[in-house]
Amino acid sequence: MRRLYQWILSLAPEDFRERYRHEFMDVHAQRARDRRPGLRGVGFDIREIIGAVGLVLRLHVGGLRVHGKGSREGRTSMMETLVQDVRFAVRSLRRNPGFAATAVLVLALGIGANTAIFSAANAFFFRPLPFAEADRLVSLFESNPEFGWTHENSAPANVFDWEEQVEAFEDVGTYASFTEEITWISDEGDPTIFSLTSVSGDLFDVLGVRPHLGRIFHPDETWAPDDGVVVLSHALWTREFGADPGVIGRTLSFGEETVEIVGVMPRGFTFPTDRTELWKPWGWQKAYLDQVWFRRAHWVFPVARLTPDVTPEEANAQLQVVVQRLSAEYPETNRVMGAGLMPVRDFLTMDVRTPLLLLGGAVGILLLLACVNVANLVLIRGAGRTSEVALRHALGAGRGRVLRLMLTESFVLAGTGGLLGLAGGWAGVRMIQRFSPLGITGLTELTLDARVVLFVVGVSVLSGTLFGVLPALRSSSGGVRARLQARGQSGAGGGRLVNVLVGAEVALALLLVVGAGLLVRSFWILRDVHPGFTTEGTMAVKFEVPEARYENRDQVLAFYDRLIEALEARPGISKAGLVAQLPLNGFNWSSQFQAEGWPPDRVGFEIQHRPADEGYFEVMGIPLRSGRMFGPADRADATRVVLINETLAETYFPGEDPVGQRIAYDRAANENPDDNSWWEIVGVVADQYQESLAEAPKPEVFENGNQNWGRERFVVVRTDGEPLAALPAVRSALMELDPLIPISEVKEMRQVWSDSLSRERFLLMLLSVFGVVALMLSAVGVYGVTAQAARTRTREIGIRMALGAEAGAVVRLMVRQSLSVVGVGLTIGVVGALLGSRALTRFLYGIEPRDPGTITAVVALLGVVAAIASYLPARRATAVDPVSSLRSE
Amino acid sequence: MAPADGYSAPPTPLTFQILLALADGNRHGYGIIKEIEGRSAGSAPSTGALYLALQRMEGDGLIEDAPTPDTSESADSRRRYYGITRNGREVAERESARLADLVLAARNKNLLAGTGP
Repeated sequence: MRRLYQWILSLAPEDFRERYRHEFMDVHAQRARDRRPGLRGVGFDIREIIGAVGLVLRLHVGGLRVHGKGSREGRTSMMETLVQDVRFAVRSLRRNPGFAATAVLVLALGIGANTAIFSAANAFFFRPLPFAEADRLVSLFESNPEFGWTHENSAPANVFDWEEQVEAFEDVGTYASFTEEITWISDEGDPTIFSLTSVSGDLFDVLGVRPHLGRIFHPDETWAPDDGVVVLSHALWTREFGADPGVIGRTLSFGEETVEIVGVMPRGFTFPTDRTELWKPWGWQKAYLDQVWFRRAHWVFPVARLTPDVTPEEANAQLQVVVQRLSAEYPETNRVMGAGLMPVRDFLTMDVRTPLLLLGGAVGILLLLACVNVANLVLIRGAGRTSEVALRHALGAGRGRVLRLMLTESFVLAGTGGLLGLAGGWAGVRMIQRFSPLGITGLTELTLDARVVLFVVGVSVLSGTLFGVLPALRSSSGGVRARLQARGQSGAGGGRLVNVLVGAEVALALLLVVGAGLLVRSFWILRDVHPGFTTEGTMAVKFEVPEARYENRDQVLAFYDRLIEALEARPGISKAGLVAQLPLNGFNWSSQFQAEGWPPDRVGFEIQHRPADEGYFEVMGIPLRSGRMFGPADRADATRVVLINETLAETYFPGEDPVGQRIAYDRAANENPDDNSWWEIVGVVADQYQESLAEAPKPEVFENGNQNWGRERFVVVRTDGEPLAALPAVRSALMELDPLIPISEVKEMRQVWSDSLSRERFLLMLLSVFGVVALMLSAVGVYGVTAQAARTRTREIGIRMALGAEAGAVVRLMVRQSLSVVGVGLTIGVVGALLGSRALTRFLYGIEPRDPGTITAVVALLGVVAAIASYLPARRATAVDPVSSLRSE
Repeated sequence: MAPADGYSAPPTPLTFQILLALADGNRHGYGIIKEIEGRSAGSAPSTGALYLALQRMEGDGLIEDAPTPDTSESADSRRRYYGITRNGREVAERESARLADLVLAARNKNLLAGTGP
């Protein structure tokens, strides 16, 4: 309560705050101490809040007046008139609850959607970053035209050279481009999975972040031989350790590995994603610096702090010089490797920029639609108030005064809608945050700050003006006579303007519905893409074989053999296999390759690696196309063999049989014929999708898992029933072999597939909601305008019917008139959609932005909805007895 | 323009209440509230309303900063005291006279039960 109070007060003009703030809070606090319990206390709180808001508002309004000058009388009367106007508006709206509620709801929808999207944009693009002097921080990235890389992560050895040779870099820190999941075994023996990001020892120094407790890493911990330390996130510290300050110095056990907690980061600091719960230093060895792989493998993201007074452009120029030097010095890895830099905020928000822009455009249209809708309601209501306005004029109210009364009504509506929209939008933000599907780098918590509130106030005022001014001008104009005369005639109440507005509504709705329709079609196409593996009845568990008890390759491989045997003996599990990384799971490893006999300048780029055993292909249902599958003879020391996918076969061995050919990952393999670098292709398997369903499968190599062995594996199993029902069996099989084996990820392949569509699904969901709302709003608009026409034309209808017109003919006449307006709106909307849908290109898969089928379907849908919306009121109007409708005037 | 001219119109009830509270001595914000509360059967303006009035009255020259009295009660140095200015006293006197006239008129018309002439 006190914080809210303080916040309200912080909005007061500065001179007031300087002079009164302390004593104000003091008096408030003293009175709060006298506060009585129960309802009367709540009453006091509410009065105090209202008083403070009133104070701030009046200080700002009264602030226009130079102190001590001007007549107090004048100000009072202005203020009083305003209060009077507001009271009047509220009274008048309360007499018409249906109208008021509809208008407020429609506005709340529009403003709420905008609030939610703006809050996200605010967090990413406007709020200060939680780093010291963030304008001196730049993100570095590598690019490679041969690989099609633009903003890729970097090779550590390159980063160290940049750090040393670019003078404009004061310091460069790095973080891993992926998070790892590790299993913590609590003192009670319960396993919990944490998300961990490896960072350089100086990363937090570079960012300028201080710990909440304990210390951050030392720069030399990048190189510590044993990575014995971790820093916790505030959230993890609170959740798992009850925010106990004594946690510093405690050790955590991750299976075999034991680490010491040395620090806790401040609340709200999450980096690089909000999934990260703890950080550990790389723990590299200095010897890596001279090894080729350290310059070939790309997996770190660097952040550099520029020296003061250096512009990013100057730093980039220096960087390019170093890049040139490195490409000459290390041609094998850096021949065409470029690098660049950009402000750290731009880099971290790169992925969310376009989706947010798209959503921003959508909610903008929605708000416009809401305003047009309310303007329409106000106009139609204005028509019913003709006599009230005429009477006011007759009683001597000036045009300005009547105008102001009507505008005040609009602002009361907009203000109420804004308040509701703020609340609704806030709930919406929470939802966005929970799904967090945009690949959001959660640098900043989404919070309701002054900027968001200001945005809502601005949007409310804007919409109040948008929908208020036109109808108000219209209703307040015209003499008494003209108004009173207009009553008996048809088409009163600004018929033409109403038609224009309804046309606009239909056009705007069409834009949104076409956008939603395109995304829906695209999503269906994506969903029908076969991922290349069986999603049903398969699950995977990631585990790691610790070095401490399984020292060498043979021990590890023996463990794998025993595991597969144990699993396949369990009921419910028909087959088990091992693979280094799951497809569509966010982590892929790629490199270049050469085939035996190729000229030195012929290289295959960006081939994916996925060490696996034969069980993997059977569990995942990946068929063999030619050659043979791995077999029992492919032991660790036998000839090294690989399977390749069809894309690799077609891309690099067109028209020839790849089976039996040999490949190597070292560019120079053909010059130093060393048998140890060659892998023999023994078979070709069908493609599977690797990074996303929207990206065609890349060339892929499956090395035999015995020969390209590792300690981290996913065990995949084919189950007879529900995949997760097999989890206990997998767990117990692992536990029986070794109770201390850490398990991390547990995934159903169905889930992996579904998660890979989460971003598309999220955009689709939001845009569909907007589309449905737009459809409803336009239907309300068409309904309203027909109903209004029916009402003002009761007399005409009565005469027509008295003269023998059939009800059906009259209904058709009225529906036709409404639909002609709708038709114009649809035409404009289609033109707009053709022009604007290109904005969606990046989000569409397998469908053109101007897809005629979608546009036609949407036009038909809107047409049908409009026809129904105009038929209902027309039907009702003709159901009235002609005699009574003639009497109604 | 003499400051008092700005107040040819009667002060608002809250302004008058504050002037009344300060008429017999300097008080701080909380003191003013307590005084008003005591006179109006427990109902008092919100802190916001009070400070809006105080700010305006200071601007209009009706009240001014007053020295903090040297008593143990005012040990808190953050508390500022307000005192009534000559102008303020004039406005209060004029308003009191106006109200007294009104009360007299009310009495003459038997609106004050049991106090008729």
